[in-house]
Amino acid sequence: MRILLVEDDPDLSRQLKLALGDAGYAVDHAADGEEGHFLGETEPYDAVILDLGLPKIDGVSVLEKWRRENVATPVLILTARDNWSQKVAGFDAGADDYLTKPFHTEELLARLRALVRRSAGHASPSLACGGLRLDPRAARATVNGEPLRLTSLEYRLLHYMMLHQGRVISRTELVEHLYDQDFDRDSNTIEVFIGRVRKKIGPDRIETVRGLGYRIMALEGETDA
Amino acid sequence: MTPRARKPWFGLGRSSLVLRLVLLAGVWSVAMLVLAGFGLNQLFTRAAVERFEAGLGESILGLQAETTVEDGQVYAPPMTDVRAYRPFSGFYWQIASLDDKGVATPLVRSRSLWDSRLTPPPKVAARARANPGVSVYFDTTDPLNKPLHAAAQLGVIPGRTEPVLFMAAENREAIDAATRRFTYIIAGALIVLGAGLILAVWLQVRIGLQPLFRLRREVARVRKGKAERLVGDYPAELSPLAGELNALVAYNQDVVERQRTHVGNLAHALKTPISVMLTEARQQPGVLADIVVRQSEAMRGHVEHHLRRARAAARAQTIGERTDVAEVVDELAVTMERIFQDKGVTIDWRAPDELCFRGERQDLQELLGNVLENAGIWCKRKVRVTAEPIDGDWLTLTVEDDGPGLPAERRGEVLQRGARLDESAPGSGLGLAIVDELARAYGGDLVLEGSAMGGLKVAVRLPRAET
Repeated sequence: MRILLVEDDPDLSRQLKLALGDAGYAVDHAADGEEGHFLGETEPYDAVILDLGLPKIDGVSVLEKWRRENVATPVLILTARDNWSQKVAGFDAGADDYLTKPFHTEELLARLRALVRRSAGHASPSLACGGLRLDPRAARATVNGEPLRLTSLEYRLLHYMMLHQGRVISRTELVEHLYDQDFDRDSNTIEVFIGRVRKKIGPDRIETVRGLGYRIMALEGETDA
Repeated sequence: MTPRARKPWFGLGRSSLVLRLVLLAGVWSVAMLVLAGFGLNQLFTRAAVERFEAGLGESILGLQAETTVEDGQVYAPPMTDVRAYRPFSGFYWQIASLDDKGVATPLVRSRSLWDSRLTPPPKVAARARANPGVSVYFDTTDPLNKPLHAAAQLGVIPGRTEPVLFMAAENREAIDAATRRFTYIIAGALIVLGAGLILAVWLQVRIGLQPLFRLRREVARVRKGKAERLVGDYPAELSPLAGELNALVAYNQDVVERQRTHVGNLAHALKTPISVMLTEARQQPGVLADIVVRQSEAMRGHVEHHLRRARAAARAQTIGERTDVAEVVDELAVTMERIFQDKGVTIDWRAPDELCFRGERQDLQELLGNVLENAGIWCKRKVRVTAEPIDGDWLTLTVEDDGPGLPAERRGEVLQRGARLDESAPGSGLGLAIVDELARAYGGDLVLEGSAMGGLKVAVRLPRAET
């Protein structure tokens, strides 16, 4: 397993390199954002540990660049910034996990193990519907290349509809596939979710077929991305 | 406590600008109108009396021209005014001799006087004697006690050496009535005019001050979080004030933002060295290492405590901020599901569109983030978030989970700073205490209950920005 560590503090870097080495990882170290970005882009790492406050290019920008360049390596953000607004920004940029300083080395190792295991999951082909694209492996969706922010229920709804695109799907069918058996459901739930998903992917991609249900379609003149 | 107001001037020192302007204009107008009323009344009365006196003078001239003396006996001419023949008719004349003491003894008198007489007061008699040929006027009464206005004039008759006093008198009730009627009419007219003037001034002031009232309403909207800045078009006198207010709001937001940045930088600067020291010391045996671990932990506690204090201080000053609740709930739900991905946590959320929190976005994120993290840690699989308006000013955020919950008697402990009910569970241990502190800073509160889903239900009440 090969890990990239992007961290500017020399003492912390030394400690982490030692701890990661002991845990059986091969570690490359970059001390600034520019070098980190270059290494992450060119070398096939299994995971990246990324600090946010970096010289030259900050961590969030590095992450955004990788994701735009389709570098899908799982990234764990390690930072002193513990505000929720910063965590949200980190996950929006494409992070897979987030750990705040000060931290226990054992916790970092545990998170890293989970991250690597998760990304090694079975690959399945991604789904496309016009400019809308869904990657079941990473549980991510994009519209015209822009990443979508979806909760798991919204993601499940979109996933199911894209698996059955072009067909009218009834409300009951959606409820059955959206929820576990023991999830309490109320009748207007589906409208709420459809409304929310429409807001995120654009209002015209999901059509309401009166009395029957919903149908997802590509926009007119759009070809699959 | 508000400072005691300076004793207001006539009770309107600070009460109302409108009242003040209207009253000042009103007092001036009323004074002028009263003065005008008196003046007009005076002029009218003078004119009426002069016309009346001219009539009396003519009667005296008539008497003087035709009166004759025969054998020392004075004969008066027949009067054209028939009223002189009817007793106590209200028109009288008299020709009298005047002795040195000013006592008038009638020589001839009109039939209307019957056996009474016209008696000039001594002063009038003296003046008449001093100015022969000039009429002197005075007021007296007739035998029926009606008010009379009379004229007296000293003159000579051919054939008599002693001068005689000619007098004519007439009932003055007619002019009194006319004057009174005029007074009533003029008073009525002036009162109507005065009321009209005050109404006009009031309207003028209300309309003139309209932009000021609009400014006040807009400032209130900014403070309540309904608007971010003043946008109205104001007259030349007020637009600099609106500009200054906008600059103040912007400055306020800027200060808060700068403070947050400083706080964040400080956190970053301190936390990495603390982390390094902790890790290094934990790996070393010995007393020194133990001391470093203990002291570093204490430093970490201090840093977090004071950073939170600084954030709370910055927070209390912000005005005009509003944050869309659904947006924040959505982004945090997505983030939280990623954080708890291995556990497979599902977050189900409901928030009406257009529901806005009156405060900083970062604070709402911090607040809900901590509650959600706590729920994520303790839940089995499911977390439910509900945002609802309570009324126009408040909203409630409820987070429930299906975890083991928290016994009622231990709920108070969670809200104490740094309390951690289970040391083995991850998290800073400050979560709900921070939320409680934040909610209080906004005048809201936090309530812990049992949830129908099995776990804990955290309800946070927060100020709502009106839409």
